[in-house]
Amino acid sequence: MPQVGDLRAKMSSLLEALNKWLCGPITVMEVCGTHTVSIFRSGIRTMLPKDVRLLSGPGCPVCVTDQAEVDAMVSLAKKPGVVLATYGDMVRVPGSCGSLAEARSCGAEVAVVGSAIQALALAESMQDKEVVFAGIGFETTAPATAVLLREARRKNVKNLSVLSLHKLVPPVLRLLASDPTLVIDGFLLPGHVSTIIGTAPYAFLAEEYGKACAVAGFEPLDIMAGIVEIARQICGGRPAVRCLYGRVVRHEGNVKAQELLGEVFRPASVRWRGIGVVEASGLVLADDYSDFDAYSRFGITLEEVNPPAGCRCGDVLAGRIAPLECPLFGGSCTPQFPVGPCMVSSEGSCSAYYKYSSKGVSPWGA
Amino acid sequence: MGRLSLGHGSGGRLTNDLVKKIASAFARESGMLEFEDCALLPGGWGVTIDGFTVSPLSFPGGDIGKLAVCGSANDLAVRGVRPLWLAMSLLAEEGLDEEELFTYMRSAASVCAELGVQLVAGDTKVLPKGQADRLYIATCAMGKNEAISPWGIKEISPGDTVIVSGPVGRHGAVIASLRYDIKLRELESDCAPLWPLIEPLTRLLGVHAARDCTRGGLGTVLCEWAEVANVGIEIDEEAIPADGDVSAVSDILGFDPLYLACEGTAVFAVASEWTETVLETMRSHPLGRSAAAIGKVTEAHPGLVGLRTSAGGMRVVDMQGGELLPRIC
Ligand code: SF4
Ligand code: SF4
Repeated sequence: MPQVGDLRAKMSSLLEALNKWLCGPITVMEVCGTHTVSIFRSGIRTMLPKDVRLLSGPGCPVCVTDQAEVDAMVSLAKKPGVVLATYGDMVRVPGSCGSLAEARSCGAEVAVVGSAIQALALAESMQDKEVVFAGIGFETTAPATAVLLREARRKNVKNLSVLSLHKLVPPVLRLLASDPTLVIDGFLLPGHVSTIIGTAPYAFLAEEYGKACAVAGFEPLDIMAGIVEIARQICGGRPAVRCLYGRVVRHEGNVKAQELLGEVFRPASVRWRGIGVVEASGLVLADDYSDFDAYSRFGITLEEVNPPAGCRCGDVLAGRIAPLECPLFGGSCTPQFPVGPCMVSSEGSCSAYYKYSSKGVSPWGA
Repeated sequence: MGRLSLGHGSGGRLTNDLVKKIASAFARESGMLEFEDCALLPGGWGVTIDGFTVSPLSFPGGDIGKLAVCGSANDLAVRGVRPLWLAMSLLAEEGLDEEELFTYMRSAASVCAELGVQLVAGDTKVLPKGQADRLYIATCAMGKNEAISPWGIKEISPGDTVIVSGPVGRHGAVIASLRYDIKLRELESDCAPLWPLIEPLTRLLGVHAARDCTRGGLGTVLCEWAEVANVGIEIDEEAIPADGDVSAVSDILGFDPLYLACEGTAVFAVASEWTETVLETMRSHPLGRSAAAIGKVTEAHPGLVGLRTSAGGMRVVDMQGGELLPRIC
């Protein structure tokens, strides 16, 4: 592939630019799990100057799913006649009594779907079953859940409900930005989420908290350009929200998708794994759609449960510690036998440290 | 000890551990099993056995019948063994359409014909509805070792060149695209018998080891090599032959093509002075047209596989952890 040599050349000129702007140590949080994985996978960590510290943030939907939410999914899956449908990695996250995968190996019906709408097909093909779609993810996946609900209503499907576990990104960023114990100079903002919400909802990060921000895509070049931009803002003393992903993200976002979210959901205060309850940071079904609400259909309430002893997922998600600093990392918590979701999810930072840097001790650096 | 999960069957680390545990139960009777794709027996014979389940049963580029013959025959081929005989066991679910079954059998037979492999034993069972997923096939292949020097993990040594015979991940990408409903017109499984590509290589001295990159893909094979041979391996992402459609499916689902299964692509460790000869030989066969040297075996960092990324960084390639699942968005 001829363009690859080109990529290496472009990367090194971005690195030059970074070195030119850099005025001292900076800490940048990549909010999104897809960024985290792309950074590891492309080896960006091994290329950056020592003064640039990268932290992984709360941007993996699997990782931020609270233990109580996992427990709710598992108990639903175990109910006779219920088929629990959800996305990929979620099935391996351990709850208080096992994961969905374990429940499945004991006979519970769990379906992995690639998109929300597949849950509808599932419900239609299994008229004698109750299909519950556990909708997880941020602003990016929530519209797909909304479409599912609209379609289900249009087709008058009765044996489908949604357990909405969707979460919103800006409120949790406010929590992190306002925490005086966290040292974060800038945020690499998620490309996909921004496609939906646009860039305006992040303005407070620069205006109220003085954080440098860049919305970036997921290719190595996008990410490196984002880091250069953040360094430029920090060292130039002019924090702002810059969008470097103009080919996909518009300032106002995807207005249609926003309207759809407004129709089907309403914001609610929800619990994030290890971080706690964050005000107005989740989406539950709007009253208009309450007949599809799995919470009421199955009488589910989410009680606070204690995470497994020693698990530091919350601190990892907030960027308070690096995965290696969790006492369980690589010992009792590994991708084969994960204790926390950060080790399960393909986008989780613990699994990224484990997989792409040989348990964090790669001979090639971070 | 726990229960088996789907991850135990995905060809990565969990499978590896499970197989070792199973083998250790036989250790007293059989001695220590070699962890190779096929066993070399006294007298120059090679034997292997494999079970095949794939959903859907037929896919662009092949079907379960073709897969079942190619799979076992390839396991022989990658040790330099010419496939000669095949035994096959069918486990079919009640209700399977007979005509459909014969379609798969004809496609299995045509691979046998192409290879000169003879079906010499077989078994058919029909299971009550619900006790099987339509059709499973197990095949056992036997053949004659023709490599003029032994091929196996033990032969891999620092300085060897790592070569792949073609683009990686095509079979895995096809199955994933069907399972997750991603439509790509061009993408076909690489499912193919490897013996015609490999036969001329058996007459060369410099080939040390070969492996078809089935479950777990290229990444997992290289990790196994590094661990078992206690060597380091460094590969260059830029050099790995890629298929645009495989990259597209991988991007959408968040998969790494390094871990996607291949059913007609193999990786080789070759003495460095033989690199060009082996590459030329491979490239003269259609299956090896895009064969490429992708890295080398090193003395440094034994047990680890490193990848120089297309961006210019360096990272570790680990064995795939469990079941491959698409990312959420
Ligand atoms: S939800 Fe979107 S923003 Fe978040 S991890 Fe996935 S891709 Fe990134
Ligand atoms: S190592 Fe395991 S327990 Fe510790 S933070 Fe990571 S996922 Fe959680």
